[in-house]
Amino acid sequence: MNPTRRTMLKGAALTPLALALSRIEVGAQDKIRVGSKDFPESIIIGEIYAQLLENAGLAVERKLNLGGTVVAQEALLSGDLDLYPEYTGTGLLVVLGASLADVPGLGGTPAAGTAVASPAAGDPSTAVYDYVKAQYKEQYDLVWLDQSPMNDSQALAVTQEFAQENNLTTISDLVALASSVDLVFSAPVDFEERDDGLKGLHATYGDFPAEVNGVAPGIKYQALVDGDANVVLAFSTDAQIGINNLVVLEDDKHLWPPYHVAPVVRQAALDANPGIADALNAVAQLITTDAQIELNGQAIGDDPKDPADIAKGFLQEQGLIPA
Amino acid sequence: MNFDYLFDHWREVLDLTWEHIELCALAIGLALIFAIPLGILISAVPRLRFTTIAILGAIYTIPSLAFLAFLIPVPTLGLGRESAVVVLAAYAQLALVRNMQTGLTGVDPTVIEAARGTGMTPIQSLMHVRLPLALPVLIAGLRIATVSTISLATVTAWISAGGLGTLLFEGITFNRPSMILAGTVAITALALSADLLLRLAERLTPASRALHSAQS
Amino acid sequence: MSDRPDQPNEPPIAIHYDRVTKIYPNGNQSAVSDLSLDVIKGDLVVLLGPSGCGKTTLLKMTNRLIEPTTGSISIDGVEIHSLPAPELRRRIGYVIQQTGLFPHMRVEDNIAVVPKLLKWDRQRIHDRVDELLDLVGLPPAGYRRRYPAQLSGGEQQRVGLARALAVSPDTMLMDEPFGALDAITRSHLQMELRRIHQTLGQTIIFVTHDIDEAVRLADQIVIMREGRIVQSGDPLEIVTNPADAFVSELVGASDALRRLSLIESGTVATPLAAGIAPPAESIPASTDVRTAFGTMLGAGLRAIGLTDANGDLIGTIDLDTVREIARTHPVEVST
Repeated sequence: MNPTRRTMLKGAALTPLALALSRIEVGAQDKIRVGSKDFPESIIIGEIYAQLLENAGLAVERKLNLGGTVVAQEALLSGDLDLYPEYTGTGLLVVLGASLADVPGLGGTPAAGTAVASPAAGDPSTAVYDYVKAQYKEQYDLVWLDQSPMNDSQALAVTQEFAQENNLTTISDLVALASSVDLVFSAPVDFEERDDGLKGLHATYGDFPAEVNGVAPGIKYQALVDGDANVVLAFSTDAQIGINNLVVLEDDKHLWPPYHVAPVVRQAALDANPGIADALNAVAQLITTDAQIELNGQAIGDDPKDPADIAKGFLQEQGLIPA
Repeated sequence: MNFDYLFDHWREVLDLTWEHIELCALAIGLALIFAIPLGILISAVPRLRFTTIAILGAIYTIPSLAFLAFLIPVPTLGLGRESAVVVLAAYAQLALVRNMQTGLTGVDPTVIEAARGTGMTPIQSLMHVRLPLALPVLIAGLRIATVSTISLATVTAWISAGGLGTLLFEGITFNRPSMILAGTVAITALALSADLLLRLAERLTPASRALHSAQS
Repeated sequence: MSDRPDQPNEPPIAIHYDRVTKIYPNGNQSAVSDLSLDVIKGDLVVLLGPSGCGKTTLLKMTNRLIEPTTGSISIDGVEIHSLPAPELRRRIGYVIQQTGLFPHMRVEDNIAVVPKLLKWDRQRIHDRVDELLDLVGLPPAGYRRRYPAQLSGGEQQRVGLARALAVSPDTMLMDEPFGALDAITRSHLQMELRRIHQTLGQTIIFVTHDIDEAVRLADQIVIMREGRIVQSGDPLEIVTNPADAFVSELVGASDALRRLSLIESGTVATPLAAGIAPPAESIPASTDVRTAFGTMLGAGLRAIGLTDANGDLIGTIDLDTVREIARTHPVEVST
């Protein structure tokens, strides 16, 4: 890391990006190129990974805020990126194009009303992780390191008032309401097309009319608060759920798989720098859903913190890097 | 909304602006290498016109993120500026080639016949008569392409290509209006300057000066 | 179709058209049909005829802007296809109706186009441009740096003429060059062209559909219809002896004033006789009878004097003579 530049940009939310932009092209091969997708949580976790690698004495180049799963995955395959945080559910549905039914031990749609299995051996979290890990290795020669307990599942959330008014607790309740109330979703722009988005909702819950207000992830709650939408596609680690006192509707027909985060790494990068695995696995168990909600909360609000500082604070608190 | 970010971080905004200029200049430069011969070709061979413009029009409608993602696996392009330059150059083709063709075919046929009649070869006629006369229209195409490239170049931040899009997307991702504003101001200033500069260039071509000379 | 006029002393032929035919790809009849014509060196030949008669096609085949379907054309004994078209065209001055000036070039650059193609040095080009601007009556100081858009139609056409003359071509092709000009400007330019032609003596082929212009300029008029030559001859012959009704109508042979304009006053002069008082006014004997008639009417005289090149009175012309010429086909009067 370039200390001069670091100082210059201190306090700027731009830091990771400015560093990614450092015009060090020559010798880029010697650096481990860490990516992330274009939403705060991914950037914060990308920063956590990057700082851990730097702490382990490895040179890092950041390519954070990439334009989504496809860009990040293509960059891994082309060798332009060495690793980035991915979610098991996204790997399963979006990258592998599979479904829960393809995962050994989870075949067939669980009976309606069945609660999500408890986190024990053979539970969906482990099953999905094992399946995705094996498929990635086989199909792409990419390695999933240890997954974190943090489950950033997709969820539908509504305001407290809307839930009470219409007596909503499950997605099935919401779907039933669609015939009498115009549902407007506030969601990232790819929600309408994704198999685990609106298409998935229709497949699992049956067709229902819905309008989608595609917005940037950073402002999707604003539309709900402003009344421009009445349903938001939430992630269970979004700090705004708590801040806005929203009601998360139960996925009673189990559309969504677990979404545990883990670093996806090119095998070649691991071969060249075996230290990567140990450095990143050290933090895996510490990234919990509650911890992540707290970290995400630091990035929003009136006095938002720079993702690099959020990551640094977290790692120091956990004793993974020196204070 | 406030200008805090712009004032507090003007050095970074300036750096990113310069990067943005580099990105756009490379893209337009690459675009011209293809657009000039292509424009000349379709102005000379009318039956290629429709198909060429249709293909360029189709390229123009490819969603930018899909286009960028599509190029990442291409060797030597990958993640970053190279792919971005290629995508921007491809988008710029439509405006450049179409204006090139309009400009060249719009030259008064009696002037072209005079060029032949005075003993110019087709190449000499192109270089000394047709291109100079088409130049204002060509520069107008360049202006349209440049301004749209400057605004399109923001999306290449998606593949870590740098430039002012970095600021914009960072601002959107973290919901920082001041950052979005800084990026927007810089991009707008850049686009307006490019527009102004090229309008000036348009007026300074011999063909335009000759035309305006009649009124002076 | 009439052959070229018999010339007893075999004058040199500049341009020779040998059975030239042009059929356009999508045309069902030929634009020029099996046409043969010899143009005498130094003559100003006017191709005259209604639109679509093939006169412009014939002109443009001469510098290969249009390629003949069959037949051959040679200039000074050299077949025009024996050298590359651009090279051929640089040797032939070419003037067209809409001037064809390059709007983005200043006057000096327009005139210098062919010298530059021939890679003349700068000084030579500069001097030549001055010379040509003087020749066409445009002071170089005031006109060199102007753009065509800053010139009147007549001035533009003078520049067009200067450009065509730039490398002193032996042959000039002019395609209705004065067609878009007003009557006064046109007549000025016709006089200029006449003067330049007399000075430089090039062979000129000049296309027009204006009979007055043809009569004023031509050494020889070639009348075309439907791709063929209907009649050719000097203006007087054409006007006084139209080959058929078509020519007669085309040239307005019945127009007495036009006939008067074809005859030099000196050729019908009454010699000076002793005892007759010299007339109050006189004009050069080379003036045409129509002008002499106008002068008489203007001055209210029955007769005026005619002077030779030295200004000496050599005879008179009177109203009776004029009336006589206008009434009859003056076959006995020959220039």
